[in-house]
Amino acid sequence: MSFFGFDTTLPRDRAAPSERRGIFETPDPFAEVARARAAGFQGGDDDDDEVIDFEDTYDGLGDQLDDDQDAFNDDTFGDDLGAPPVGKDFDFFGKTAQVADAIGEEQIRYSLQKPRAPPAAAVTADIAADPAVTAAAGKPKRTGYEKYSDPGYIPDLQAKSSVWGVQKKQDPTPFMMAQAQAQAQAQAQAQAQAQAQAQAQAQAQAQAQAQAQAKKMLSLEEVEAQLRRYPSALPGQVPVSLPQSMPEPAHPLQRAQMPPLPEGFAQLPPELLHAQFAKGVPPPAQLLHQPPMVPEPYPLAPHAPNMPMHLLQNANMPPQHMGPPQRQMMPPGGPRAQQQQPPPPPQNMRGNNAQLPVITNPQQLMHLSEEQRVAYLMEDAKRAKRNHKIFLLSKGNGLMTPQDKNFITRIQLQQLVAAAGNVVDSDSEAVLAEDFYYQVYSQIRGAPRQHPHQPLGHFAQTYLLQTGNRLGGHGNRRQFQNADNHMQRMQQQVQRAVEAAKAKPKNKQLIIEGSLGKISFGNAKAPKPMLNLKRPESSEGGKSFKKPQTDLSLSDRKSILTNIESVYSTLMEMEDMERTMPPPPDENDPEAIQKHMEWRQNVRSLNQKLWRELKVMEPIVPNTNTPHPFIAFLSYPKGKKAIPRIFRHIDQEQRVTILTMIVVHLDTLDVVRRAQPVPGETQPSLAVREAIDLFSQTVMPSLLGYVNEAPFNIIIGLLGLVIAQTHVQLVAKTRIGLGILTMLLSRAEIVKEADQASERDWQQWVEKFNVLFDTLEPTFADLFPSSINAGDDMYVWQFLAAVGIGASPDQQQRLVIAVKDRVMETVTYSKTLPADMASQRLGNVNLFMRAIGLDVELLG
Amino acid sequence: MADTEDAGTSSVSEPLDLVRLSLDEIVFVKLRGDRELKGRLHAYDSHCNLVLGDVEETIYVVEEDENEQETIRTIKKQEEMLFVRGDSVVLISPQA
Repeated sequence: MSFFGFDTTLPRDRAAPSERRGIFETPDPFAEVARARAAGFQGGDDDDDEVIDFEDTYDGLGDQLDDDQDAFNDDTFGDDLGAPPVGKDFDFFGKTAQVADAIGEEQIRYSLQKPRAPPAAAVTADIAADPAVTAAAGKPKRTGYEKYSDPGYIPDLQAKSSVWGVQKKQDPTPFMMAQAQAQAQAQAQAQAQAQAQAQAQAQAQAQAQAQAQAKKMLSLEEVEAQLRRYPSALPGQVPVSLPQSMPEPAHPLQRAQMPPLPEGFAQLPPELLHAQFAKGVPPPAQLLHQPPMVPEPYPLAPHAPNMPMHLLQNANMPPQHMGPPQRQMMPPGGPRAQQQQPPPPPQNMRGNNAQLPVITNPQQLMHLSEEQRVAYLMEDAKRAKRNHKIFLLSKGNGLMTPQDKNFITRIQLQQLVAAAGNVVDSDSEAVLAEDFYYQVYSQIRGAPRQHPHQPLGHFAQTYLLQTGNRLGGHGNRRQFQNADNHMQRMQQQVQRAVEAAKAKPKNKQLIIEGSLGKISFGNAKAPKPMLNLKRPESSEGGKSFKKPQTDLSLSDRKSILTNIESVYSTLMEMEDMERTMPPPPDENDPEAIQKHMEWRQNVRSLNQKLWRELKVMEPIVPNTNTPHPFIAFLSYPKGKKAIPRIFRHIDQEQRVTILTMIVVHLDTLDVVRRAQPVPGETQPSLAVREAIDLFSQTVMPSLLGYVNEAPFNIIIGLLGLVIAQTHVQLVAKTRIGLGILTMLLSRAEIVKEADQASERDWQQWVEKFNVLFDTLEPTFADLFPSSINAGDDMYVWQFLAAVGIGASPDQQQRLVIAVKDRVMETVTYSKTLPADMASQRLGNVNLFMRAIGLDVELLG
Repeated sequence: MADTEDAGTSSVSEPLDLVRLSLDEIVFVKLRGDRELKGRLHAYDSHCNLVLGDVEETIYVVEEDENEQETIRTIKKQEEMLFVRGDSVVLISPQA
């Protein structure tokens, strides 16, 4: 009887009905039935001569039945009693109630059947095998389960019970005997019931369809069995209206019809079934069958327990009527029980159904018009479905006491408030970080979320509303009112709790009055702190011990890299700031102006931060081996790459400072220091060359960009620094060094050309220039890369040109003399080169030559 | 000064921040399966997935000759750009 372990296979169902009948009467009815069938089918070939061809009959059903025997054990050993699947929550009362009905019915049936037992025996095992018969038989079984104990039904029950009784008796007997008896009885009864049969056949046809529908799920074999059954089934139904003798006639009919029918019918039934199922009228067949079985309407109470069974029956059929869960509910005996059980629900339904005629007797159903019947059946199915749902839902009824529910509610409220408190605590930034996508989504949807408290209220309301609806929906009016009150109270409670949470949102500790301890709490977002350590606020001490460390570690690689990374972080922040720059403020919009001011303030502070991190202003320590932090910064490729980005964010003063730092440390700059020509090496190493290239591609343009706009006095000052602070001769031998010198010289020349220089400034410049020239004069020839084929000497010519332009005629003379050899070499060499390369080289030379008023062409 | 140092230390708050210091630098990466890489670190993530440029990959293969003498053969490969899946990374070392 348990609903679990239900097997939807039809074969079992067939077997089950016959067996179930006997459940209470015989110790192991199923086993016997199965045995009888197996024996009967196998032996049937030999024994059966006339109507029933056992070859046809034997579809392997016997084997299946054998297999199914085990399945019946559940029934036998009382699934009703909740044998295997029973858990801790076994519903003793409910199960017992179910069984109590069945027991009562069983007893009545038994008493009724006993006298008729002999005739029943006549019915052969075939009947049991026949679906129709089983269906008929199944009804009794159902009734047994359903509480057919009602006295009023007894007559009907008797009729059916007689049939069953026959079957039961047959079951135990071997197939042969059963058949023989059945035939004998069938003939005898057939005569007696000739009239009845006529009626029965008419009904049988109608029912045949219904049955077919009901059996939809059946396998082919089963369908065949059904076909055979139809004839028998019809008689079976007839008996309901007719006296008890009816059941026997059915058998004769079966036999007679069986041979021809099976195949032809086999095809039809499935189709019919499908069609009807599609209409959603699957149960009818079962109902029709059942009515005969259960003539009188049953009290509502019995049905409720039976409901699952009914559902189970439906489960065999497509789930249209029944939800999937219903299948689970099916008893182990499942299929048959289901088929038989459908009737009870209909009866219940009838009672409730005002529109449809009240059907107290199954026979009434037969007299209804087709429409009415369909409507009735539909209604029935609906009710059955609803009842089943209720049944399913009611499983958990009463598990929780009101106190339990209260407890749960309080927990939920607490969490609600905690979450709310958290929301209140966090600023919008944190909220955004917490669930960014929700924020964005709600913004997109235009959700009203003006202030952080909003979500809480909304959430709480939603929660309350839902709960209220649910509670209200299920209760009757009174309950609804109660629920309403309850919910109102809850709502108030929530509001109070929320307000309390708002009132002290940051309170992370709870001190219960009169207690000595504190309870600190946390949540997922703000875990309860296990340790409460205060970080010493001795920022002074921190600085004091950090400062020496800074100095010491300035030169080491890690701290330099760290500096670079922090510079980059700040750079990215600044670039991000740029993106968020507010629109140019409107004079009349103080708020916008305010915003803009704030933004500029932020930019300024970031600029300061960047400036500090660049460490440009670190004190210059002369005569030390550790390079200045900024110079070290520039010694890394990424440091060099940062310069153009940095220059975009710093002002002119900072730029000149950087330029000054570079110029001052020109000879310690990695691209200068490491670029010193090494004896035996025609050019610096690859890494150095790369560094030089990178420097001239990144840093130099930035510097140049500034120098080109720099005031003349700064240029003068820078030149002075170069001369005073660096080894000019060494610097000049490198490309970067020369580049910077060229930069300064050419700027001075431009200033002079533009006549922007004051006489005094110019005098200063000339002084510096002369010093430079004198210093460099001995090395002019050495400025070039060692080999003339190195090719890359343009920067030297550029420098020489810059010098030449600014030089006095006397100096130009000396200059030409100094580099004359190189000029001639290059001209000569260029003649050996392809035209384009030659012109390039000559062009470089010409750069210089023209600066001093000459031309390569003049050299011929 | 103190501020800058603060900024400096704050940029190293987790182990991978040390890897960040090696961004754009040559790093030495040891991989499972007796492989080593040396290249410029272009990018990394929390799984130690790496993007390396100008990589030299060294694979160590232990071979047994007929005398059962184990000899170690190295295979070197040069890659312009390499994506290294983090789960094979054993160590990342700055190559000073």
